[in-house]
Amino acid sequence: MNPFSPANHLILVILTPLVGALAAWLLGSRGVSAVRQSAAVTTLITLTGAVLLILRALPEVSAGHAFAVSEGPWLVDGPFDIRFALGLDGLSIWLFGLSALLSVTAVMVSWEAIKEKPVGFYALLLILESAMLGVFAARDVILFYVFFEFTLVPLFFLIGIWGHDDRRRAAVKFFIYTLAGSVLAFLGLLTIVLWSASHTGTLSFDIAKLSAGLAAHPLPMDARGGWLQWWVFLALFAGFAVKVPIVPFHTWLPLAHVEAPTGASVDLAGVLLKIGIYGFLRFSLPMLPEATAAAAPWILSLGVIGILYGALVALAQSDLKRLIAYSSVSHMGYCVMGIAALEPVAVEGATLQLINHGLSAAGLFALVGMIYERYHTRSIANLGGIAARAPWLAFMFLLFTFSSIGLPGLNGFVGEFMVLLGSFQRAWSGVAFEWRTSYLTMAVAAVVGVVLGAWYMLWAVERVFFGASRQPPGDHGHAPPSSADHGAGGDEAHSHGGYGAHDHGPAAAEPTDDLRWYEWAALTPLALFVVWIGLFPATFLAPSAAAVRTAMAPGAAAFAARMGHVPDGSPLPQTAQADAATTLPGTAIVPSDPPLTAGFERIP
Amino acid sequence: MQFSVADLLVLVPLLPLLGAVCTVLLGRRLGPRAHLPAVAGIGAAAVVALLLLLDTASQVGAGHGDPPRPEPFERISTLWQWATVGDARSGDLPAAEAGVPIAPGTAVSGGTFSIPIALRLDPLTATLLMVITGVGLLVAIYSIGYMHDDPGYPRFFALVAMFVFSMSMLVAASNFLLVYVFWEAVGACSYLLIGFWYTKPEAARAAKKAFLVNRVGDFGLAIAVFLLWMTYGTLNFHDTHLDDGTFVEGILGQTRIADEAGYVGGAVGTAICLLMLLAACGKSAQMPLHVWLPDAMEGPTPASALIHAATMVTAGIYLITRSAPLFMGCPGALTMVSIVGATTALVAALIATVQNDLKRVLAYSTISQLGYMFVALGTGTMLGFTAAIFHLVTHAFFKALLFLGAGSVMHAMGGVIDMRRFGGLRQVMPITAATFLIGACALAGVPPFAGFFSKDEVLASLHAKAHPDAHGSDHGEAGERPSGTGIDAGEVADRGVRPFRPASMTSRSSALASRATGALSTTDRASTTDRASTTDRASTTEKLGLDALDHPSTWRLLFWMSLLTAGLTAFYTFRAVFMTFTGPVRIPKEAGHHAHESPPAMTNPLLILAALSALSGLVLFVTNALSGFLAATPSLTAPAVARTAVPHVFHWDIAIQGTLAAAIGIAVAAIGHLGRRSDSPQMERYLGPLGALFANKFYCDQIYAALIVKPLEALAMVTAFFDRAIVDGTVDAIGQVPLAWGSAIRRMQSGLVQRYALAGVVGVLAIVLALAWQRL
Repeated sequence: MNPFSPANHLILVILTPLVGALAAWLLGSRGVSAVRQSAAVTTLITLTGAVLLILRALPEVSAGHAFAVSEGPWLVDGPFDIRFALGLDGLSIWLFGLSALLSVTAVMVSWEAIKEKPVGFYALLLILESAMLGVFAARDVILFYVFFEFTLVPLFFLIGIWGHDDRRRAAVKFFIYTLAGSVLAFLGLLTIVLWSASHTGTLSFDIAKLSAGLAAHPLPMDARGGWLQWWVFLALFAGFAVKVPIVPFHTWLPLAHVEAPTGASVDLAGVLLKIGIYGFLRFSLPMLPEATAAAAPWILSLGVIGILYGALVALAQSDLKRLIAYSSVSHMGYCVMGIAALEPVAVEGATLQLINHGLSAAGLFALVGMIYERYHTRSIANLGGIAARAPWLAFMFLLFTFSSIGLPGLNGFVGEFMVLLGSFQRAWSGVAFEWRTSYLTMAVAAVVGVVLGAWYMLWAVERVFFGASRQPPGDHGHAPPSSADHGAGGDEAHSHGGYGAHDHGPAAAEPTDDLRWYEWAALTPLALFVVWIGLFPATFLAPSAAAVRTAMAPGAAAFAARMGHVPDGSPLPQTAQADAATTLPGTAIVPSDPPLTAGFERIP
Repeated sequence: MQFSVADLLVLVPLLPLLGAVCTVLLGRRLGPRAHLPAVAGIGAAAVVALLLLLDTASQVGAGHGDPPRPEPFERISTLWQWATVGDARSGDLPAAEAGVPIAPGTAVSGGTFSIPIALRLDPLTATLLMVITGVGLLVAIYSIGYMHDDPGYPRFFALVAMFVFSMSMLVAASNFLLVYVFWEAVGACSYLLIGFWYTKPEAARAAKKAFLVNRVGDFGLAIAVFLLWMTYGTLNFHDTHLDDGTFVEGILGQTRIADEAGYVGGAVGTAICLLMLLAACGKSAQMPLHVWLPDAMEGPTPASALIHAATMVTAGIYLITRSAPLFMGCPGALTMVSIVGATTALVAALIATVQNDLKRVLAYSTISQLGYMFVALGTGTMLGFTAAIFHLVTHAFFKALLFLGAGSVMHAMGGVIDMRRFGGLRQVMPITAATFLIGACALAGVPPFAGFFSKDEVLASLHAKAHPDAHGSDHGEAGERPSGTGIDAGEVADRGVRPFRPASMTSRSSALASRATGALSTTDRASTTDRASTTDRASTTEKLGLDALDHPSTWRLLFWMSLLTAGLTAFYTFRAVFMTFTGPVRIPKEAGHHAHESPPAMTNPLLILAALSALSGLVLFVTNALSGFLAATPSLTAPAVARTAVPHVFHWDIAIQGTLAAAIGIAVAAIGHLGRRSDSPQMERYLGPLGALFANKFYCDQIYAALIVKPLEALAMVTAFFDRAIVDGTVDAIGQVPLAWGSAIRRMQSGLVQRYALAGVVGVLAIVLALAWQRL
């Protein structure tokens, strides 16, 4: 067997962090620096492996196939068939890469911050990395669920042991809340398996087989079948909605973030929230299309409510980290909205938005951690004028802020724009007449969220980075620089973009608080991707396109049947749809293939 | 491949971008010469822009015929595809999704969501590129002197070059999405330049305010772009031929423009236009979104001159001119443009009369003059559109001159800009004083300075609308807009449908558009291609309520408002001149050794701009070069616009009225301020309570604080409380329920987090194992 076969490559990438965790444990006696160096090396090796794997996978994945599929019997006996099945496809490939990338960031931001019990910390961080990589690579329901739960445990300890003052409560709340949701989700998944087994005869846990099986024998969506599909959908929804989190199931998130050590926050915001949306895409849309279609308007509403609600609550925060946590709630609302719009452009935008939010939220949380290390406060009121003392730190914060508020040219814009465009498209020509106003209202409200998003972020930037330099308590005692009067104002240069501060001009405080090398290492890769995705989004959209469309097709078809223009709302057989459209002239015909899709042309 | 000058277009944005990148990379090493890459980049771009302008002009053959009816001229260059989602709708979607039959003659390939990075060159773009790079170059040179001892010197030049890049992309983009992208990009440059001295709290606050108010405008643009995409099935301006041979009509492509029925009117069209107007109000600081511009004066003065006077703030005028064919189908929206413009012009002028901060006077003057341009645009006539761009060009020259002059004063006065604290400066800084006076004459509309001619055209376009009979007889159809653009507005209003497409022109996008709008249809789709039924319905046209505004009496009111504004403009401009440059010499103590004429790097740009302010209006008017040239812009060749073209004449009656207004304004200013100490009592004491109203800027900031900011902050607090107490409280309460269940569970609440974790994992495993066991 080829040791470098794609399948082995994937398994190696997932196992490397575990080996690294073992190494960290063995090196424990040599002190902090040996441990953190080994952790850094491990994450870098994993990242290299993941990047190589992604490069190998791109051609296959772009064509809509799974790559690096490995299947080992795990619990196979008689009709019982749980397999250790791994592989990457268009839905998971970028999330897989993101997990590997953010793990490097998570280690680098912990470089100086974690001095207590470093062995446990880095070992858990690496175990978490394995779990995150595994959850996106799993192609078996049970394996997915094991990895899914397995992400909770390391994070629970990371928050509970290395967190801030209220860490116990935060960890317990996070754990119980997520676990409660995921147990329900597990029940739902088991029901799917059993239903599928009752029709196919084999008790398969393979996700692809389940999707195919459910397409042939959908779960009943009527009173005769006990509304089974509804119940399963709601069970899965409970698990994934907590994870995203969808308002109102979000209150564990700010608490967990505020109390978590920076490294854990980076992984939590960057990767773990994405598992919820990934779950919708992987399970709900393809396996439960009718229930998804029926719930789509409500989920879309929850997404929009999340956007506005998260933004409003963020506006009222006094703690910088809490503000960014609520901004996560708001921005994940776009992903929810995009998925629920069930339009190709919107769903692809939401998939990209997962990556975008992963980058910008991780960057912002990392930066908040860096500010906390310097000034020992996260209170917006106690911070001020950091740009003068740490110009590069301010530059990075501004970059990730711009990314987060969707400035064109950076990554955040692409995802949000596509989600909104798709939602308008859905509202305009993809729903029955009586729904159009509600859909349009929600789409417009989501655009209002873009304004609010800029408001709270720029407000925070103004208070924390600009203005006269404050001296937060416990600071290392810089004199505040003299404030400017006019054009030749004697301020510290902001150093926005590659030049240092003082070639000439009045002396000001040295930017002694600026980024250290390990902080550069944490942020630079994220910043590069922020710009790269912004300028060349096609590079990142194309590989997932086929898989996304396959995943959403059943849901979209069910939606067209249900919400399009059929009066009684009962799900029609898909083939009948075209007839229905053509044989009902004069009624409010909605071209479910909106014209509009075709719109951007290819230029010769 | 044949080389043509138009291929150089990409260099105009590219060279400043390279300048910005080099400044970023080399800024530290270059030290006091950090301006070199930016100035060289912008300078080279200006040379290229000049070549492009001359080339375009030679190909258009400006000004032949009277009124000129030139052929549309445009050159497109596509750089690369930005985002492509191939087959966005086809393939995997089941037949149900493609349920609606497609109009015959249409080739629909797998719908491709694809956005090209395409640039265009046409007379409008060439003109604006010249203004942007030309003024940009002069401002950059000026900044070498102005910013010389600033620690952020390289950062400033990097941002200015970045701005010139973004702004040239904005006017050269041939796609509404790219327009949106650079619309925000110039806003970001503006944010960073307003907040340039970020340690000043006022600057930081002003930057944030500018970005947020602009975001409200961007909100409008975003939705307008979505609606355009829904309606027209493309976002490109230009027509394109796809690889597979299908033809896609651009929104502002020549095929659609030539087609009288090419644009959607009615509710949808009006919504698109009003949203674009909202966007334009944000960027061009029109009411009610004007509040950011005066505060933006916290930025460095050269940035104010370039961004907040000459170029970026004219983006709204550009957008509306570019979208002229869209607006022509919506007379109500078009009239709203004029109403917004005239109101803003008047209100801003009133506020400017009592300001004592020289830069604020100029800021309100900018708002007012931009309002002037909006008034002209709203007339929806060839004269109006070209007058707006004419005024845009002359205004860029004289307002940049005035701002740079104010900067020169500020530089000499050690940062003091309050006019009451200095005076008589013509003896200290003669070049600044002379050039400022020229700029003031141009702004006030004193003949034969530049502003006189462009303002005259603006007023003439209004006058034609106000008196359609007088002009109609000798000027053909001027002032009389045919109903819509051939679209029956009533039809569109109740059906939202573009009613008719000639069969010969069926194309993918037109079919798409009719299908898109067909989504709103409650009538049989077949009737949309039935010419007879369309014309029948045309007789029962119902106009939207808004369209009733388009009435001669409205235009008469707007004309008189604009004339009053002209008088006020002359007054506040010369008030500033008299306060600053006449009377006894007084210099504030902050000035120190600075109180002398500025260095040549600063005065030379002033002299060049002064020459342009003095002569450009006369030259452009007499030769009629600009309006004839602009008429070849594809957007302005739309039949609805083109048929309003009138012979090029000098309007003696209007010129006399305008000059009289200016003379009265200057005379009043002279009575109040000529030769007096600038800190002597002001004329506003005669205004009574009105003076307080003007001085407090009509309380706009306070009204917004009370109506929007405070309620929103209160709502945020309430939401946060709700989140903490109700949402989280419920969760905590549910979490307490198990406690009541008894001691077994209470023991589990040991507080040992490890145990909870263990329990969770064990539980899951137990389920798995139980299942496994069962099957074994």
